[in-house]
Amino acid sequence: MSARLPATHAALLGIILALSGYIGWSAVQASAKLNNLVVIAPVGAAMLLLAVALIVNALRRPAPEPGETTSVWGDLLLLAGFAVFCYALTHVGFDVATFAFVWAGVVMSGGKGLWQPPLFAALFTLLLVKTFGALFPYPMLTLVL
Amino acid sequence: MIDTFAFSQAMGLLFSSIDPWLWVIPGLLIGLIFGSIPGLQISMAMAVFLPVTFGMDFLQAMLFLTSIFTGGAYGGGVTAILMNIPGSSSSIATAFDGYPMARQGKHNEALGLGLAASVVGAFVGYILLLLLIGPLAAFVLKIGPMEMVVVVLWGLTLIATLNDSSLPKGLMAGAFGLMLSQIGMSTTGVMRTTVGNPHLLDGISVVPAMIGIFAASELLRLRGGSYLVQDETQRDISLPKILRGVAETFRHPGVLIRGSLIGAVIGAIPGVGSSVANLVSYGEAKRTSKTPEIFGKGAPDGVIAAESANSSSEGGSMTALLALGIPGGAATAVLLAAFSFHNIIGGPSFIRNQTDIVYSIILGNLGQVVLLAVIGLLMLRVLGMVVRVPLAYLVPSVLAMCAWGGYGITGTIAGPLTVAAFAGLGWLMRRNDYPVAATVIGLLLGRMMEGELVRTLQISGGRPFAYLMERPIAMGLFVVMILVLVGAPLLKSLRRHRQRRTGA
Repeated sequence: MSARLPATHAALLGIILALSGYIGWSAVQASAKLNNLVVIAPVGAAMLLLAVALIVNALRRPAPEPGETTSVWGDLLLLAGFAVFCYALTHVGFDVATFAFVWAGVVMSGGKGLWQPPLFAALFTLLLVKTFGALFPYPMLTLVL
Repeated sequence: MIDTFAFSQAMGLLFSSIDPWLWVIPGLLIGLIFGSIPGLQISMAMAVFLPVTFGMDFLQAMLFLTSIFTGGAYGGGVTAILMNIPGSSSSIATAFDGYPMARQGKHNEALGLGLAASVVGAFVGYILLLLLIGPLAAFVLKIGPMEMVVVVLWGLTLIATLNDSSLPKGLMAGAFGLMLSQIGMSTTGVMRTTVGNPHLLDGISVVPAMIGIFAASELLRLRGGSYLVQDETQRDISLPKILRGVAETFRHPGVLIRGSLIGAVIGAIPGVGSSVANLVSYGEAKRTSKTPEIFGKGAPDGVIAAESANSSSEGGSMTALLALGIPGGAATAVLLAAFSFHNIIGGPSFIRNQTDIVYSIILGNLGQVVLLAVIGLLMLRVLGMVVRVPLAYLVPSVLAMCAWGGYGITGTIAGPLTVAAFAGLGWLMRRNDYPVAATVIGLLLGRMMEGELVRTLQISGGRPFAYLMERPIAMGLFVVMILVLVGAPLLKSLRRHRQRRTGA
């Protein structure tokens, strides 16, 4: 099955069904009245039918050509880095987190040179903190700037 | 239709001195900047600059704030075209074809199309407001939850047209968005799926989710490339090409006018506005097009339909504010605050007793639209430079801005984390050919749909279909929707069938 249904597609369907199932279950637990389920019930039923259609459709098709796995791992690495950066913003400080992420991101995306990426990251962080950050109507935690 | 005496007084107010216009150009620039940076909302810009208007007279304040509104509406479209980041929910449909055009090296033409469609759309919206403010106000008062259900349903039908290769994938993506919109406290106060997290009480914040699923996921895919536009010869910022895009807009008068009318009418409905207008307009442009297969791949019609509708909805949204004193959205709520700053109360008495002021606001906005065309053309040369930045530097910088934008919307860690979660979801969806826009549409309209459905059920005593028969506007909208969705494709296939038979 996994040969015909690519791993990323299976993962996506799994995430969609698991999250939707939990949302549906939680809504029914909270209140089983029509007013509470007016969208969830019909949409949930439609999703089940669609999931069956999508899985059957994928299994009937010939197995797809294996994709380039290195690009997947590269994307996942940057995605993981991005998630860590998002979490670090309010824990480490917007300035330090942005500087580190942009530096690492430039290098991971193919930026050349030893001094250009950190210099760019520093200037970009300074610009962001002093302009974008100044417009925020909320307090913004910074460690250095 | 027009009170000529009040009209001439309005002209006097506007043109007897330069004072009312002094703040229009700064307002347009502020709007363009806020609109084009993900996470900075137009309403936020208007709120930030609201205290500045305290020292101005009422007309000057109105023109300043509405110029931020006008500039912001177009600014959101610029980033949608250049980076696939809709600045706000009103620019979602602009990204569908604007970004593919940019990737093909037609960024100049796409920006020109967007600018011209925005200018024409806003112009049509305000002309309609000038001519029809009375009847439109009466129309708005007759809009109830049943009518809203029909309008939102119309917006949702776009989901079915977003993925040509696989309808089930498009529907699944849309249904998932609808399901995600049900997280948090329901319309009736029932708590669902909050997992004890206070950030989820109001549900998933739509704008950070939109930034993550559209922009961040696309940026991840761009990693490893050299530039947004691969062909070096097409990476220039060319005024003649932008002007060619402007001229191209007028070769699609049907799409332009239909988009502007859809925007003005839907924009007049409080609470619905430009977010739905651009989707409905895009859907209609695709359905009625002779070449629907090129939509989503860089069709100029798609950009024109979306931009004309979201800009004309601005005029529509002013209807409820001026004629009824009801803000239709966050931006008009700030305008209402400016009203109270100057001891003015919007509503029927405002229109009756201060018609000259009402006309001068509308005429002033028409003037702003002309200025937007000039300022927009000048600013596009600067904003378009993004195609010259190497992707190795652009991708991490814009990703960082996406996370900052998420924080700018929510003011908590929930914003950046929503961006990150939806970036991952969007990456998975794009890899497997699921339309991410369908999920955003579901997420955006799901909560609105639930609220209006529940209100309809409560008002109708559990008999919504019988209630529909008693609502002529809802019935009319429903019939038009069915005719457009079912009748038009049927007619088209019948005509094709007849042509084939006569050909044979």
